[in-house]
Amino acid sequence: MQAFGYTGKILRVDLGTGKITTNDTLKYKDFIGGEGIAMKIMWDEVGPGIKPYDPANKIIFGTGPLCGTGAPCSGRTNITSLLPSSPFYGVASSHMGGYFATELKYAGWDMIVVEGKAASPVWLRIEDGKVKIEDARWMWGKGIFDTQAMVTSFMGSQAQVAAIGQAGENLVNLSVIRTGSSHSAGGHGGVMGSKNLKAIGVIGTGSVKIAADPKAWMELDKYMMSLIGANNQMVVPSHPQPWAEFNNPTSRWTGRKGLYWGAANPPVETGECNPHDMQSVGYRTQKAVFDLGPGAEKYTVRMGGCSHCPIRCHAQLKVPELERYGMDPYVANTCVGWSGPRGVMFKGYKPLAGKTAEETRVIANAVGTKLADDYGVWCNYAQLGRDIAYCYNKGVFKRVLSAEEYASIPWDMLLNGDPAFYFDFYDRVSNKKGEFSHIADGSYWIAQRWNLGDDYWNDKDNKLWTRGGYPVHHSNESGAQVGALISCFSNRDAQNHSHMNYIGSKLPLALQKEIAGEIFGSPDAYDAPSNYTPMNEYKARFVKWSLDRSLLHNSLTLCNWMWPMAVSPLKERKYRGDTSLEAKFYSLATGIKMSEAELDDAAARCFTLFRAITVRQMGTFDMRKEHDQTTKWVTAQEKAKDGSYMKQFTPGTIAMEEQDMQLGLTMVYKQFGWDEKTGAPTKAGLEKHGMADVAKDLASRGLLPA
Amino acid sequence: MENQEPSPEITPKALPLVEAIRAASKGGALVTQRTLEKEFPDLNVHALITESGVKDLKKMEGSSDVYYFSDLSMTEAYAVFMYRINEKDPVRLIAETVRDDSRIYPRPTPVATFREPPFSLSARDVEEALGRMTLRPDLEDIKRSSASNGALYLYSSQFLSEAQGDALTEWFEVGVRENP
Repeated sequence: MQAFGYTGKILRVDLGTGKITTNDTLKYKDFIGGEGIAMKIMWDEVGPGIKPYDPANKIIFGTGPLCGTGAPCSGRTNITSLLPSSPFYGVASSHMGGYFATELKYAGWDMIVVEGKAASPVWLRIEDGKVKIEDARWMWGKGIFDTQAMVTSFMGSQAQVAAIGQAGENLVNLSVIRTGSSHSAGGHGGVMGSKNLKAIGVIGTGSVKIAADPKAWMELDKYMMSLIGANNQMVVPSHPQPWAEFNNPTSRWTGRKGLYWGAANPPVETGECNPHDMQSVGYRTQKAVFDLGPGAEKYTVRMGGCSHCPIRCHAQLKVPELERYGMDPYVANTCVGWSGPRGVMFKGYKPLAGKTAEETRVIANAVGTKLADDYGVWCNYAQLGRDIAYCYNKGVFKRVLSAEEYASIPWDMLLNGDPAFYFDFYDRVSNKKGEFSHIADGSYWIAQRWNLGDDYWNDKDNKLWTRGGYPVHHSNESGAQVGALISCFSNRDAQNHSHMNYIGSKLPLALQKEIAGEIFGSPDAYDAPSNYTPMNEYKARFVKWSLDRSLLHNSLTLCNWMWPMAVSPLKERKYRGDTSLEAKFYSLATGIKMSEAELDDAAARCFTLFRAITVRQMGTFDMRKEHDQTTKWVTAQEKAKDGSYMKQFTPGTIAMEEQDMQLGLTMVYKQFGWDEKTGAPTKAGLEKHGMADVAKDLASRGLLPA
Repeated sequence: MENQEPSPEITPKALPLVEAIRAASKGGALVTQRTLEKEFPDLNVHALITESGVKDLKKMEGSSDVYYFSDLSMTEAYAVFMYRINEKDPVRLIAETVRDDSRIYPRPTPVATFREPPFSLSARDVEEALGRMTLRPDLEDIKRSSASNGALYLYSSQFLSEAQGDALTEWFEVGVRENP
């Protein structure tokens, strides 16, 4: 049967036996693709008790039916496996952009399931239908940049490569899998390492077939392109512009007259980027100045990004000063790829000789980012830097490191803001040198190992969201209970931008509230920033919608850092977007007609399955008590500048309130059809989603609420 | 523009004025009546524009001149910024912009904004304006707040409480960068 959207084939590689087989993707189509299908495979094949680095664990590289079709922002790869930094090795997904996913589709594969463990280091070579397990002993021990160069030297420059560095090889929990120069999936590098799998190279010479008439597809594509904003679907420019009614200095729509890609030859002016000019979409987001400050403008060669994405959100820089550190001058990244390494230097940078503070920030950050990207170290959404700061400031390192090891660490460099500290730091961490290197085990594990106690978890500045060991990621500061509750359901930092791509649009409050009313049933779904109200049903709908859409995007695969399109930059549409676009693209690509509600329901099926896996892994169905609780600072009253405490739900505080959060959990459980007391999936709920087998399995283990 | 009645046919006499205003707006600038009178000394500028009935042409009365723009390529919001800049009264420019930000979004306004385009005030102008603002009883609602990195913001107490002004200042200046 001809598959549309999907290639129809899942590649299975057993590194233990060397066996390479193929599965039919369409037998999983109820789980959409990418993350959804990966959850199904993890449920079916990776039972409780298996640990991330066991050969029995699997790592699944997934694309979805929209990847490779040309649908805007569809170049994401979803990677699902057990997460080493999680206390119970919870199933979790990491994500990377770049061109790997599209190339995989063009090679004829929707997903790769890697099983077992190779006897010695290998890399996987995929050239269309030809798949080979190759010897990687010579690559082992190399950084990711060298590894990519070696794989492409075998396969040719068309190859897209996903690889691990020394951190992944050495089973560092906080390690990444990276593709391209700057696209990292954080958390699962060690799982690849545990399988002795250094890299995957892929070349695809085929195409993705779609069911629709190409004209209908192009019309939808153009319509979508008219609604798209800048990075994170911010639809308001940072500076006042003649075409704009609104502006916001914190917008990622930084493009304007007088702002350049300064290191391009000749320099390229981003220009006004009128929203009606589709050809200038790629200039809207000058991300270098957003991420690194105004000093980055002159170092910017261009913006990069992912396949089939008009939003170029990765800053690609030429920083000649890197040569002083023995590095080539080219460096690229985005968001936490910059701020994660910056956080490691928690005392900041001291201006380098002959450089301004703004220049230093770029140069020093570039050193850290380049090393993190080469060794393949994950920052746990910037928590790594906070953990270092906490352990240093609270004397933990002095307590747990031997005097000899403590003395060997160049603290003076760290305290004096010298970026050369990065060389020592990333080498120690990636190569697991000494007790200090356990800092990259992840927050839960260092709390256990170094007996950090309640103070560590409940410290507001430390930003840990749950005892699961992951931090704030667009949580209570983003839409009050909406962001707060979204962060409670993950097994890692929430990685959810469904709510942010609307909340963060930068439109005025009145408009935001109108749009919330239209999507969630009441303007009360959205609170003004720092002026929150108690929980209500509409916020619960917003939470469910955000969780569903994130899983949907990771399944289709669309970029959840852009989608959904709840808003647009168009005044003539009263800034409304279109939340049915995913369903329209899915229907046209696959020929399987799905309404917006039906596709959201399919995503809810996948999310419920994710929840069921978590229940099975934790061995309890009391998710409310054992999984969904935040650390204490989240519900503690905040201090005003005058030292007084601010009561929750008064202007100026974003603190949550304990009872209100519990009510919020109950309301969200109800939205999903889960048990309102425990937050676990029920027999009826699972059966409604066609997962009677899951209900039966959980019941047999005593894990189904009565 | 949406729901706008079609303009009547432009008379040959009014045409150069309409074209001049539209061209300026396309370039992001307002046109003053005095400029037009200088450029077209034989024309009764004010009468011709007013009587032309061209819907996209908009007028704003300034303290010593009249400003025109075309909303075909310039929003009213931007025209108001340009108007404030052209009036060369930094105190008013800052106060009115701050009040708008606090009312519409609502958010405090970074003082650094006024050093950047399209305002591009000098550091001295900004400093002097801030000093003069504190002496004006009619601007008592304009309050200052500082982020932990030292950045100064302004907000209007008509629309934001002190606690909210402080919290949002810290969020926009520091929090947004730490939570990308």
